[in-house]
This record gives sequence, structure tokens and C-alpha cells, in this order.
Amino acid sequence: MNYVGGITTRHVSITNKAGYKSCISLDKIYPNNNNNNNNNNNNDTNIRQLPKNEGLNFSGYIPMDKVEVKYCRSSGPGGQNVNKVNTKVDLRFHLHSADWLSPQLKEKLEEKYKGSITGEGYLVVRSDRTRSQQLNLADTMDKLRLMVNNATITPPQPSYEAVERNRRRHEAAVRERLRQKRERSLTKQGRKEPQYI
Amino acid sequence: MASRGTEKALSLLRRLPRVELHNLKPNPGAHKNKTRGRGIHGGKTHGAGSKGSGQRQNFMRLGYETGNNPFYLRFPCQNYYKGHHLKLSYVPLCMGQLQKLIDTNRLRTDIPIDVSQLIYTGLFNVKPLEKEGGFMLQDDGMDHFCATLNLEVQWASESTISAVERNGGVITTAYYDPMSLEAAVDPIRFFKRGKAIPRRMLPPQNLIEYYTDPKNRGYLADPKLVAQERFNLAQKYGYQLPDPRESPHRHMLLEKKDPRQIFYGLEPGWVVSLPDSVILKPTDPELKEHYLS
Repeated sequence: MNYVGGITTRHVSITNKAGYKSCISLDKIYPNNNNNNNNNNNNDTNIRQLPKNEGLNFSGYIPMDKVEVKYCRSSGPGGQNVNKVNTKVDLRFHLHSADWLSPQLKEKLEEKYKGSITGEGYLVVRSDRTRSQQLNLADTMDKLRLMVNNATITPPQPSYEAVERNRRRHEAAVRERLRQKRERSLTKQGRKEPQYI
Repeated sequence: MASRGTEKALSLLRRLPRVELHNLKPNPGAHKNKTRGRGIHGGKTHGAGSKGSGQRQNFMRLGYETGNNPFYLRFPCQNYYKGHHLKLSYVPLCMGQLQKLIDTNRLRTDIPIDVSQLIYTGLFNVKPLEKEGGFMLQDDGMDHFCATLNLEVQWASESTISAVERNGGVITTAYYDPMSLEAAVDPIRFFKRGKAIPRRMLPPQNLIEYYTDPKNRGYLADPKLVAQERFNLAQKYGYQLPDPRESPHRHMLLEKKDPRQIFYGLEPGWVVSLPDSVILKPTDPELKEHYLS
């Protein structure tokens, strides 16, 4: 049975079994997809090719089943809506037992984000940026990815010339400061009564 | 036994198309073009009237209204309206509204939802003649949206796509050219015209990019890329992507229209006869070729 605009058509099989295929059907526009099944939205292949993290590299993939998401009420003004609707998102996972992060990454995260880690070892990311729960969840995912990406970055070591330059400039500044101090001291002494022995 | 005249008339009736305005023509000699008057009774003013700019061939410029501010000068140019006659507008449809329709049984989720189904609820009005392109999905109320459906709209934002896919549904954005949209919006009125279902035309240049983009789940986008984008969106919005192929309604969820199709289950070229409850399909090979192109 097919429903078109509310009328029921009595014919059971209206289209031929192959279905109507015009010259601009997806098979014709994308012929290379014929190897995969034509039923779209194939998630299986994606899951099989999941990106892996090795060393300090982070692919950006966060497994949602290994992470706890809790919803609570947000802060700030908003009347009845903010009092009742759970729009704040709390995303946490136990850092040490996270197998989707390499040990080096975990070390770096612990070092860098000590403040976001609870006493029990859970890394917590929260967001109540928008009025929508789902958008806040997207924000927490973004924040978490940012944290992990920051952990992968090692700041570059300054060059020998830069270190030398800074040292010379620092010492010159110290010398200048002491010189000014001595000058001021002489001025102040000059205002005192002369000391006659 | 009918006379030859009657037989001929009936055979003509069988062959010729329905009488319509564009089929009519006056008998030869019925319409006479107006000619310039020359001599005796076409004489004296020779069809030019008396005095004035008409007789003296010194006409006022087009649009001149004898001194008052003419219509074409009254309204200043507004850059805001530049090109507005070429742009389409869409009827907004919130996720919250959709959820309400489903909860109150005004919309069925066991069949694919497209423009026709949404208008059949009776709550929306899409006017293709006023340059409306169809429905646009808005994310107002997407937090409490929890229906699994196969949805086809004309415009959808990223957050609305995530809301539908999170619940195991399938969303596609498809373009309907004005004639196809008129048919889709009121199918019964269209079928009463007795015309063959037309082929849906491709989008215009300014919209082709939108409908071939997998991020918008365009109906002309590469299915492989669409699958990739589904995965990426699930990662962005933080949900586990359910596979519609594993759901019990997989046949309904994965049903897709061909880019040239307007109605589910009906092909271009078919004539739906409501009084006889019959569908007439073309047999001529040229016609068949045309409707498959």
C-alpha cells in the first residue's frame, strides 16, 4: 500500500522490483559505489576503520561508550526555563583506565590539566554555553578534543641564540636599574646636611 | 452502425489531447488584424484620433503620468531586495513541531515523510507560485526530539540533521522545482488534471552546491561521503551513531526517491486516474525513453 496525499492506492506492487532509475539516479552519477551495497549510510566500514592513537598523536575520535555524560541544570538568569531544563552537560571519564588514549597522552593530560581532574582520577569537562543540551554536548566534545590536542603539542625549545639574546638583555636591564638606583641615591644624599668630621 | 462523420469525430476524440486554452484557435478568417485607415471611410484622421500627442506622433515617454510622481520613480532602490525575485524562501518546521505532530498522531512514522505527507497534516501551506521552495528544518526543540523517521525536507541545518540521525532516523534534503512542488503539495488536484507525472528537474546553479554537499545530506551527494559525514557529525555532537540497516524498519528507513521522482511509488510519465482507480503507463518507446532521461 502506498499513501500519496492521503489516498490509498490498492495496487500492491506499483513499481517494478528494480525501482525507477532515471539517468540522474545515484548509481549513474556515482558508478564507483557499486562495489559497496547501494543501501546508503554504511556505518560498518567506518567502524572497522576506526582511527588509532599512537604515542602523542590524537586522531580526534572519542568513543562515546567509554565516556559518561550527565545532564544538570545550568546557572545564570533565565527564569522558569533555566530552573527546570537540564541543559548543562557534564562529561567525564577515568583518565588512567582510558584505553582509547595512549599512556604518553594520559601523562601529558594529567600534567597539563591537573585542575580538571578530580580526586578519584576522573577528567571532567563541563559546558552550559548555550540554551540547548545537545549544543552544549557538542561544546564539551570540542573542549575535550582541544584539551587532548593541547596535550599533544610540545612547545619548541628556544634556540641557543635566543637564550643568549635574552640573557644579555636581562643583564643589561639589571645594570641599568642599579645605575639609576645609585644616581637617585646620590641626589638624595645631596639634599642632606653635609657631614663635617 | 454510426455514420462516417460520427466515426471520424469519435476517432478524433480518442486521438487528440484534452481541449485546453493552449489548444484553441479561432476559425480561419474569424480574426481580422486591425489595419491603418487609408482613404474614404478610413480617411480624415486615418485612425490617429484628434489633436494631441497621438495624432502628432509626439508621444509622452513610457511611464509618464502627466506630471505626478510616476510609479516607476516612487519607490527607491533597496539593496535588501536585490535579486529577491530569484531567491527561494522556505516554510519553517521546528523539531518541536515535528515531535508534537508525531505524538498527536497527525504524522505517521511508519512511512517515509516528505513534502506531501507534511502538507497532508493540514497544518502547513507551501505556495510554490510565491517562490517557496518547501520546508526548512529548524533546531528549536531538538533536545526533546525522539522519533525515528525517514525525513525528506528542502533545507536542514547541521544540528537538525544530528537530531534526526541521533534517534536512528534518516534525513535527506531534496530540491523540487516549482511545477513538481505544485504537484507534490496537492497531489489529488494534480491527478485531476489528467496529466502525466512530470520528471523532477535538477536544482538551479545557485542551489546545486547545496544539494550535492554530503554535509547537508543532499539527495545528489555521494552516498559514501554521506556515510562519512554521518560518522563525523556523531563525533561532533557526541552520540553513538545507530545503524538504520539494523533496525526492524530498515526497508522504510532506507527508501529513497530517485532524483527525478516526485511521489514515492509513482514514476514520471504515469497518469493516475482517480475516478477509475487506474494508473496508465506510457507504452510508446520514445515516451518511455523521455521519462527515463
